[in-house]
Parts: sequence; structure tokens; C-alpha cells
Amino acid sequence: MTQKESSPLEEHQLSSLHPLEVAILSDLHKQSPTSEADLAAHTGLDPAQVSMSIGWMQAKQYITITSEVLTKVVSLTSVGTKFSEEGSLLERIFTGATEAKQQGGLLTMKTLQETLGLQASDLSGPIGALKTEGSLQIGPGGVLEPTSPVSELTSTLRMLIEDIAHGPASYDTRPDTERKIIDTFSQRRGRSQEPFRVDEHITRSFALTDAGQAIATNVMTTGVKEGYAQLTPEILKDGSWRTRAPRPYNIALRPPRITAGKKHPYRSFLDKVKTTLVSMGFEEMRGPIVESEFWNMDTLYMPQFHPARDIHDVYFVKSPAYSEPIPEPYVSRVSQTHRDGWTTGSRGWRYSFNEQQTRRLVLRSQGTAVSSRTLASQPKIPGKYFSMARCFRYDQIDATHATDFFQTEGIVLGNTINFQTLLGLLSLFAKEMAQTTKVKFAPAYFPFTEPSVELHVEHPKLGWMELGGAGLLRPEVTHPLGIKVPVIAWGLGLDRMAMIALGIHDIRDLFTANLDLIRQQPMPF
Amino acid sequence: MPTIDFPKQDLETLIGHTFTLEELDKWILLAKGEIKDYEPATDTLKIELQDTNRPDLWCTEGIARQIRTKLDEKLLPYSFFKPAKKTLDQIKVGHGLHVIRQYIGGFKATGYTLSDRGLAQLIQTQEKLADIFGRKRKSVSIGIYRLDPIQFPVTYTIADPDTVRFTPLGFDEPMTLTEILECHPKGIEYKSTLIGQDGKQHCPLLTDANGTILSFPPIINSREIGEVQVGDKNLFVEVTGTDLRMVLHAINILAANFADRKAKIDSIEVLYPAPTEFGKSIHVPYDCGSEIEVPQEIINATLGNSLTLNEGKQALIEYGYQVKSHVKTLYVKQPPYRDDLMHPVDAIEDIAISTGYNAFSTALPSEFTVGSLSQSEIISDKVRELMIGFGFQEILSNILSSQEDLAIRMNLPTTDIIEVDNVMSLTYSCVRQWIIPSLLRVEAASSHSFYPHCLFEAGEIVQPDPNTESGTRTLNAIGALLAHPNANFSEIHSYVDLLFYTLGLSYKVKPTTHPSFIDGRVGQLTLNQEPCGLLGELHPQVLDNWQITMPCTIFELRLDALQADNI
Repeated sequence: MTQKESSPLEEHQLSSLHPLEVAILSDLHKQSPTSEADLAAHTGLDPAQVSMSIGWMQAKQYITITSEVLTKVVSLTSVGTKFSEEGSLLERIFTGATEAKQQGGLLTMKTLQETLGLQASDLSGPIGALKTEGSLQIGPGGVLEPTSPVSELTSTLRMLIEDIAHGPASYDTRPDTERKIIDTFSQRRGRSQEPFRVDEHITRSFALTDAGQAIATNVMTTGVKEGYAQLTPEILKDGSWRTRAPRPYNIALRPPRITAGKKHPYRSFLDKVKTTLVSMGFEEMRGPIVESEFWNMDTLYMPQFHPARDIHDVYFVKSPAYSEPIPEPYVSRVSQTHRDGWTTGSRGWRYSFNEQQTRRLVLRSQGTAVSSRTLASQPKIPGKYFSMARCFRYDQIDATHATDFFQTEGIVLGNTINFQTLLGLLSLFAKEMAQTTKVKFAPAYFPFTEPSVELHVEHPKLGWMELGGAGLLRPEVTHPLGIKVPVIAWGLGLDRMAMIALGIHDIRDLFTANLDLIRQQPMPF
Repeated sequence: MPTIDFPKQDLETLIGHTFTLEELDKWILLAKGEIKDYEPATDTLKIELQDTNRPDLWCTEGIARQIRTKLDEKLLPYSFFKPAKKTLDQIKVGHGLHVIRQYIGGFKATGYTLSDRGLAQLIQTQEKLADIFGRKRKSVSIGIYRLDPIQFPVTYTIADPDTVRFTPLGFDEPMTLTEILECHPKGIEYKSTLIGQDGKQHCPLLTDANGTILSFPPIINSREIGEVQVGDKNLFVEVTGTDLRMVLHAINILAANFADRKAKIDSIEVLYPAPTEFGKSIHVPYDCGSEIEVPQEIINATLGNSLTLNEGKQALIEYGYQVKSHVKTLYVKQPPYRDDLMHPVDAIEDIAISTGYNAFSTALPSEFTVGSLSQSEIISDKVRELMIGFGFQEILSNILSSQEDLAIRMNLPTTDIIEVDNVMSLTYSCVRQWIIPSLLRVEAASSHSFYPHCLFEAGEIVQPDPNTESGTRTLNAIGALLAHPNANFSEIHSYVDLLFYTLGLSYKVKPTTHPSFIDGRVGQLTLNQEPCGLLGELHPQVLDNWQITMPCTIFELRLDALQADNI
């Protein structure tokens, strides 16, 4: 034991030293400054471990850099390795031309390209170098003719490739001529097919700071009590935790990444909407994706000539193209309602309803199709229903248009339903879905409701926005489906709120294929 | 929904009142309009009109009229809609037009000088009416001419396309009708409207008493008298079409518009070769609207006892209606430029609009209902919750996909996939028949995302089923995918096993073969001997087709098959 008592801080500093740090500190205590390579040699540690613990101790300000020397190292690229086996392009061109001349023949660019299997553009560099050196010339017809028995450049290049093939070698210590050749034949931007690459290496030397000196002295004199890294079943069983302390961690480090099970962010938003609707007393309804025009449009009193029904708005199914005949009494009632109003009190659309077209199959284009099926299936009265239905529109896809999307919509049936309760329900939606009591109602138009209303709300963060559309279903819709009480039909446009909450600006990103984006999206709702 | 542009000042002149933009925002609600933009430099307002049944509102005059009527508390008289007593100029309709576009109407607008602004608005109105209301001139088209050169009666007939010649707008030389259809841009664009009910092409022609050609409806006007310019004082306006009510509706809108710009409207008598719904001779503009009864009981039921009968009556008058009241009933008639009164509820909406939606007090629906999720959603939520607990990331995809992704890349035949007929883009041309391709789409795009990848998606798929009304069935399914260097059958099997165990269901795995999987490493899942899904290691060829370089194992399960009491 030394005379001097360690201060509590030093105690902590000492106990938190990693074994690697202890090794480096000890070595630097003996000899300082020392280079990174020497530290590795002295301690027998892996260079990566040395570098890591140096990093830690620089952060703790125990050690400091005393010098940085920049050295260049030249090594062979994969092309260079190939050249060391086959000879460089330069060499193959020069010897090829020389041999051809000795045999009384001619080497042309064309035969050269064929034998080497290369493009003319790959050959222009080496041929240019030989020409510059004065050992080759290009005659008429692309004939390559040696103008000298030897090419100094080719020989030196061969020597260099053979030399460097043994492993990375010093660049700085070579004579000017060799360095020039290495420069010429080094890989760089736009020159990927070269044999050499030159890398810069930094050799750094380190010394202890005053604090480092103090801690190192302490380590040398008092030694370090070896803390354990991980509490193990053995330590717990043998009770050695009572006498040994765990080594404190650097808890400021970023944790490693883990994969986790999570909801999809947009789905999570939709789940919240779903829960809210159920808590408001709505019952979920579902319907098929492939739907007849009858349920998708005709029951909703959209005339068969309505522009939103043509091939530029709705996806038609190729096969099967038509559904089975629509069940009675619905098809007759709906058909007559379109024609002359049937007994609904309406004059109808005044056209002859096409009973073939009503069976045409489409991909559901509006969630209200689900409501019309519910109305025809003896719904509860009073009753509140909702669906979050996947709908499809014939649209060019861009940042604001999706080809298939969720529509949140529903109906409310009951004897107390009227325009005032419609407005009341919409105010409730504003409060539950957009957390606001500031609402405005605007007249709107939907073929299936009258009166029709658009709900505008002042969202606390997004300002005034359209939240949805609604109305009282027309008698032309309800009576043919056997419903005699007033019915509210409503739809909410929630995608904009979802996109803002998820921090995305492109509607296509709601269904992104990018797993990183899905994993990283926050879900702040 | 039509969107129109006009100078704010033009609207204000027509109303006789100026507005701030904020004020206009509220007043425009009377016309179911929304201000989309205002450009102060040019004083241009861009307004979107919601009501596709109110073509009278798709122009400055119409919007102004709706607002002005409210401010004046009644509609202007528009006396030209009443039957004329004097002898009128005539349009005579020839034989043979019944197969193509047999109806025509027209009027004369005089004593008004066509201004720059008036002409611009006239062209816009003509376009909106012919394009949207008239379905690209198919059912209704409009012609406007200088009145002075025309000698009445005007004749509307079918012409021989190869002998009749005139100089159309935009050209310098006379052309035959056939040449116009082949060379003139409007001829090429609207040629298809000339195919009649008999499947043959017919060429209607409008000529005056001197035999001068006015136009070739609905294609193009003659350059001589059919080129209207700023400064013209007297105009002749005609509308042709396939539906008499629509023709009259369009004519009435145009007549009211010219009257609003202080033109004098003179009616025209149209003489048909055979009686129409409104007789053989019709004085145009013609008010074909009729009165309907709106009982107070329906008003109260719809609007919730918020208005007296008299308040309802006043609201309708201020909205342009003619209204009489008698013993708890209103007898209401729309102005002649409207034709959207199908049911009393239409008038009741107009009462509400005229009163102002925001003036109504609101009440919550008071009847008690119990909220609940469907059985499918309950099962889906349960399974999703378990999968997330098992460490899987949930995915959400488009349901529309392609043959390439759904079948070809999966080594499957392209049969049994529901395709759309009117393909917009091949990428979105088929409805997915299973979930796995949706997950492979994510896997293929995410090789840079750190591994392992544990993905699942629960959602709808569509499969052919001849036993249903639509020949297809929408099913709920779940697919799960594991991708990492050691992904194998036994690992994915463990998850399937845990899932069924937790749900209290006993399942079996039967050996099977499937082109998407490695032979001997794929199983069919069954519940009560019924097949309900698949699990296995995806075939390297499938992975290669998706350019995926990581082993993938999957399971897919029909959620509807899990219907059990204990979930």
C-alpha cells in the first residue's frame, strides 16, 4: 500500500478501466511517446483493440497525440494481381507487336482487340504510353509496329508489379522514375482498370497526459482489481459477487440495434380510429372487394350515366365480368326508382335502367357500397355502423393519389335522425378525431344524400381542413332497400392527418416497401 | 366537379354589391362553391362547384344570381320564360333527326354589347355545359352566332356530307362535311357523336331561309356568321341535343345568363315534324318544371322542427323558388334554369342552404347503440397482436399488384387471379390472391435493412369462387416471412406451432408440393381436415426472380378458417 490515499474520483477512474486500457497505460508508462504499431507489438494486442482503447482514453483525456506522420503505401489491385500472372496490357501489346514483326506478320488493333477480348477504348491508354515512350507506332490500317527492341517502361512496370505483388510497399522511398510510373498506373476516379493503388497511412504516436500519467502511476503502484464484465450464473452460485466488483460500463455509448415486433405505423393510426369508432357505439361492417355496380352505385342512386361511373374512374373486373342476377326485390325496386322514383316520392332520373349493366363487376370504388349492403341486410334500428374499407380508383398514381386506399365511412339509423343530429354527430367526430370543437358546415353534393354537408374543422396543429362529408340518405336509397327510418351516411378523410402524424409527404409512403422507413417511423398517437 | 375562373369584379357587378374575400367565402356557400384561389394581380377567382346537378351554377352569372336572389330576397322576373303571345321567328326541324340529335332550342339576345369579359365568360360557360353537362357534346352542344345576317326561319336537317360545303371556323376555304370530319380538329375530336342509334353516321346541319349555313352541330360553326366577336350586339343562341329536357335546361340557363348581362331575350318557336313531350311546337326558352308538394311533416322530420312553415317558404323564395303554402304544405317550383328537384328532400336541402347550415343548432343522436368489431376483425387483431409479440414487424401493402409479382415471380400459373379490365398501369392491374408477394416486395426492396427480417401482414385477398354471387370471394389472410442467413423450415414451423397453440387450435402439417417452395420443405396446414394455409422454404428460383439473396421461409394462413368460439 502506498502512503497516499486515493481520492474517491481516482478510485472510480481506476475501477472503470478496461483491461485493454490497463495494458496500453502500462506500456505508455514505460515508454512514451510510442507509435500505435509499437503499442500493438509491445502489448501483443490486436491493432483494432489498440485503436479502440486509444479512442476511449483520448475521450477520457488520458493520452494525447504527439505526432502524426503521413506515409503513402502502394499495393496491387485485383487488376494488378492479374497482370502479375498474365503480364500487363503494355507488355502484352509490346511483345505481341514484337513477335508479330519477328515472324514477318503484322499486329493490328483489330486482332489485338480480339485476342485480348477488349474494347478499343481499353487499349488506347497503354498504346498511348508506348507511343509516348517511343517504342511503338501506329501505321496505316491500325498496324502496331515496334520502333525499339526494348521498352524501358514495360520492363520497369513489370519489375514494380512483381515487387509489390509480395505485399503493400512503401511509396515515398522509391526513386522519382518509379513513383511517376506508379502514379500513371494507379487506380483513381475514371481509371478503374489500373494495377496499382496508393493509400495514405497515418502513423500516430501517443504520450500520457498529466491525468494519464497519474492514473498510470496508480495502476503501476496499486494495480487494478480485475472487475468482472458480466454477471453470470456461476458468479451468483459461488457467491463471488460478494468479493468481486463488476466493472462499470460507459453507459453513454449508443446501444446496438435490435429488431422488434411492431405494428405498421399507418395501421396503428387506423387501429386508433377503429377503437374510437367502437367506443362511440359503432358496429363494424364488412363487404366484398369485387362488387357489382348494383351495390357499388345503383343502390346509391348514382344514375348509370353518371360520369364517376365510367372507365376513367372505376376499375372493372376482367373475368368474371358479371355477377349472378341481383336478388329480388332489390333489383326491381332500384331499377324502378332510377326510372320514375317507384314509391319513394321521387320523380326518378327518367331513364331506362340497364339490368345487364347493374351486374357488371367492379373493384369497390367507395366505402358506401358496404353501407348499402348493410341496409339491405336488416340492420339494427337504432343502429350505428362503420367500415374501414379498401377502395379502388382508376387514377394516375402520384404523391396525392393512391390506387387503393382505406375509406372510413358508415351509417346511423334511427327515428331521432335528422339534419340537426347529423350536424351533432359531425361535431362529435371533430372532437373525437381531430380534438377540436371549432367546426364549420358547408353545403355539399353526393348523389345518395340530401341534405349533404361537408365538415370543416380547425385542427389544433393543421389549421382549417376538410374532415369529412355526410348527409341524410335519400329516400331513393333507403326505401328500395327496405329501410323506413332516416339514415345518416358519413365518411371521414383521415389520410392527411395520418400523413402529418407519420411525418410523410407522399401518399405512396403509407404502403412503402422500404423496411427501414417502416421500422424507423415514429408512431406519436 | 367543375372549376371555373372569373374576375371578382365581374361577379360583384352582376350581384350589385362588393365583397371581401372572407365575406365571399361565406356567400359562395349558397352556390355550393368553394374559393380555391384568388389572384389579386388579375382579380381572378378560381371557384370549385360541388353540385353536378346544378349546371346553372357553373358560371359567374349563375353564382351571382344565387347570391343576388338572397340579397334581394326574391328572384328577378325573367319574363321571357312565360309563353309569348306574339308571332315568333321559327326553327323548323326536318325529318330523320330522331336517330341522331333530334332536339333543338334557341333564342335571340339583343340590345347588349358583348364585352371582353362577357365573351370570355360565354366561352367558359359554353365549354362547361357542353363538356360536363352535355358529356363532351354527345347529349348537348351549343352554338352562338351573329344574329343580323340570319334570315328566319332557320332549318335543322340531316345533310349530305359530300355535297354540302361551307367554311368552318379556323379555316379559310369551304370544305365538305366529310372533309371537316377528316381534317378539322373539332371534326376529328367530336366525329364519334355523329353515330346514331342505327349505328350509322348522320350529319345534322343548320341553315337559314336563304340557304346560308349556320353550323354543322355539334361539330363546328360557319366562319361567316358563327364567329362571335367582342363588340357584337345581337346574337342568336341555339342548343341541340339528344334529350329534350336537357336541351331546354341548357337554353334556359343561357337565356337567364344573357338577361343578367342586360340583354333582351326574344323567344323562338321550334316546330317538330312529330309531337314531343311538350307538343309539336315549343316556344323556347320553355319552362318545363312542375310544382311539387313539400309537406311540413317531411320538412320537420328532415330538419328537426327547427323552422316554421313560413320560414321554410321564405327561405325557398330567397333561393329562387316560386312557393305557395296551404294547410301545412308548401307547393314549390324551381326556377326554369334548374332541373334538380326530384324529391321534396331536394327542396328541403335548399331551405337549409338558404337558411345557412351554420345557423342550425346541433343535437347528438340520443339512441343507445353498442359498438363492436366484426368477427373477422377480432380474429385478425388477435393474430396481429400475437405476431407482434413474436417479434414480427407488421407490413401494410397495396392490394392491387401485378401478374408478374403475384404469379410469374412465384413460379405460379397466371390463372386464378382477378384482373382489372381497364388497366391504368401493369404494376396495379391484379388483385392479390395471397399475401406472400406483398411481403417479398418489401424484402426485395430492403436488403440494406439490418437482418433478421421478421415480417407479417394481415389483410384482404380475393380468390375466384364460382359458388358466390360475384364469382369471387374476399378473404382475410395473414402472411409471415423470415429472412436471415439461417432461416429454415423448423424456425417458421415453431412460430406456426406457437400461434395455433396460443389460439387453442390443433392443426396438422401435411406434406405437399407447391411451385413456390423447395420440394420436401413445404407443408399444407389443415384445421379439422380443411386446408387453411401453407408453410415452407421459398424456392431459390423464386428468390432469384425477386432478386433476393437471403433465404426466406414463410407461412400463410386464411384467418377466416380460425373462426372459433374461444377467440
